[in-house]
Amino acid sequence: MMSERTAESAEAASGTGAEDAAAGAGVPAPAAAPEDSAGSPDAAQAAGPAEEAAEETAEEAAAPDPETTPWTGRSAWVFPGVTAAFGLLALSGLATIEPPPHATPPGPTVFPAVVGVLLLVLSACMAVVNVRVARRGPSAAPPMPPVAWRPVLIVLGALAVAAALLQALGWLLTGALLFWAVAYAFGARDHLRDAVVALAMSAAVQVGFSLGLGLPLPGGVLELMFP
Amino acid sequence: MESFSLLLGGFADALSPVNLMWAFLGVLLGTAVGVLPGMGSAMAVALLLPVTFRMDATSAFILFAGVYYGGMFGGATTSILLNTPGQASSIATTYEGHKMALGGRAAQALGTAVIGSFIASMVGTLVVALFSPTMVALALQFGPGEYFALTVFSFVAIAAVVSGSALRGMAALLIGLVIGMAGIDGQSGAARFDFGLPVMLDGIDVIVVTVGLLALAEVLYVASRGDNAPDLKAIKTGTPWLKKRDLRRSAGPWARGTALGSLFGPIPGSGAEIPTFLSLGLERKLAARRERRGGEKSEFGKGAIEGVAGPEAANNSSASGSLVPLLGLGLPTSATAAIMLAAFQQYGLQPGPVLFERNADLVWTLLASLFVGSVLLLVLNLPFAPLWAKLLKLPKPYLYAGITVCSVLAVYAINSSVAHLVMAIGIAVLGFGMRHFGVPVAPALIGVVLGPIAETELRRALAASSGDPSILVGSGISIGLYALVLAAAVFSAVSAVRRARARKAETETEKTPVA
Repeated sequence: MMSERTAESAEAASGTGAEDAAAGAGVPAPAAAPEDSAGSPDAAQAAGPAEEAAEETAEEAAAPDPETTPWTGRSAWVFPGVTAAFGLLALSGLATIEPPPHATPPGPTVFPAVVGVLLLVLSACMAVVNVRVARRGPSAAPPMPPVAWRPVLIVLGALAVAAALLQALGWLLTGALLFWAVAYAFGARDHLRDAVVALAMSAAVQVGFSLGLGLPLPGGVLELMFP
Repeated sequence: MESFSLLLGGFADALSPVNLMWAFLGVLLGTAVGVLPGMGSAMAVALLLPVTFRMDATSAFILFAGVYYGGMFGGATTSILLNTPGQASSIATTYEGHKMALGGRAAQALGTAVIGSFIASMVGTLVVALFSPTMVALALQFGPGEYFALTVFSFVAIAAVVSGSALRGMAALLIGLVIGMAGIDGQSGAARFDFGLPVMLDGIDVIVVTVGLLALAEVLYVASRGDNAPDLKAIKTGTPWLKKRDLRRSAGPWARGTALGSLFGPIPGSGAEIPTFLSLGLERKLAARRERRGGEKSEFGKGAIEGVAGPEAANNSSASGSLVPLLGLGLPTSATAAIMLAAFQQYGLQPGPVLFERNADLVWTLLASLFVGSVLLLVLNLPFAPLWAKLLKLPKPYLYAGITVCSVLAVYAINSSVAHLVMAIGIAVLGFGMRHFGVPVAPALIGVVLGPIAETELRRALAASSGDPSILVGSGISIGLYALVLAAAVFSAVSAVRRARARKAETETEKTPVA
């Protein structure tokens, strides 16, 4: 029963709700009725004495809250690490910030230092939680959803390239390139149609912003070629 | 009564044809952005900020009022149709709303959400109009010490009470505080965390943080789910005509949800999530009691219309209510309010008591346009809700590519600088990590916006008392606020223990039949 529940919540977490929607869309409404009457005694019972508890569990089953799902595996240490890094950065302000000689105390370094210490404390607390989760064994928590790195890296790469080329290439081409690359990362493979849509989108934005709102967008090479 | 005449003056401004057009455009754009999965009204306002650079303040705020309501309704649409709430305050709607959609009653769920939102935002805005002046009167007695206490109160409420995990909420908040520290320190003029880069001296713009943390991070997150991401094409739509029975069953939840939202909305830091969940729980209990007394059967768990009507009304009235601390105190208490504050600052306006004195006409026009916005929302979305859902039938690659291009544009347009773009990409990576590890993003955003205010007030207080910390607890107001902080912390600790116990009990009852 336990494992079934975990599987179910993992499925819900990975967002397959749309599949249910597809099933629901195919079934005409009256078909749901017999299920309704069969299910109601349970519901009535649940709403009885242990109302509070029933409420909590019902909500959890509907959509498990990722904010309360414990971290497992090696990647569990990533966020405590990030927290600690921010803490160290804030603390480094003690060394890097040069307060002007007549600054009224508390000066500009105090607030960052306090926040830095708090971040380090939180990072330690997260580490303790991680150790306790790991000790309970692998079955205690559902595994973290896997990350498909390829599309993420393509999107990030496209953003970096767009930032680098924006001034030189101009908005029209950069925007189109970015659109096309992100669409590719999300699985669009009709390259010609994608390119047409990308150019149309980019051009519409350029026209809307430059002509409609008077905001300048960089022209880039196109400006040099067609002044 | 004075409020009413001022409000009427505001209506006279808001109802000019040009401003009506802006409100209409705002509702349209807000709904369009809000309907996109993972995007709420905060995102809609952030993406539109750069568009308003060339507009005068009044038109811009009328546009924002429309966007605010449009985005909120759009968020409800995705909750109901897709089970993907665009913002935390829509989560309560998903439980029954999505089940209604699965049962072929998506249109009715949308209909009850629209009408509920309309009633609630009307009442909520009235609360703002009546209570903001009172809040201002109170705020005039506030010194730096009291303001600092208020920011601490907002921090604790948002990070510890509203977040699923207090630890992660606090971490997100503090990371936001660090991001907010970058740039020239306003008090002493010292450069902080600028890494020797001149572009960092201005700090990291709130729009950069919002777009990076919400929009770009969402694109990365959806990309990271690969084929597991929800397929948006599988939605059924219809016309949102409510039957008499639906109306009768919605009326009570609308009224109760509105009351709950109006009660909690103006309290700084309470957020919209608490009233929505309270409303959901209340309606569930009332339905169960009605069933026990031989009335209609409770449909909770199978798509009860009460479970959509109540939380949606609570959501909208508390969202309007959260404008009370924003306008009266200059304190943003939600992600959307934080961006609204940034919008005010863009026009050189500082919300708070002074705003009511110096820019009274602007404030009352904004309030009037909130009314106009909610009427337009009803007109625009009741008949067209199913059409909006069709926006989700766009091919997913184009949808997310479009969001990416719009985000890049929004960031670039702030200052026509590529450096902002690089910062946004860095923050997007951070936001993606937070999404992946289930760390709430809203506290980070609040930290970025409120952090500098908190620090300034703290240092001003200590400078005024020449370093004597007792000034921080020097008045009844601050002591009361710290007491509330303590109460909130205890409350969240107790409810966490209770939740853990409930979970334990649940696993035990599940094990028994097997054994």
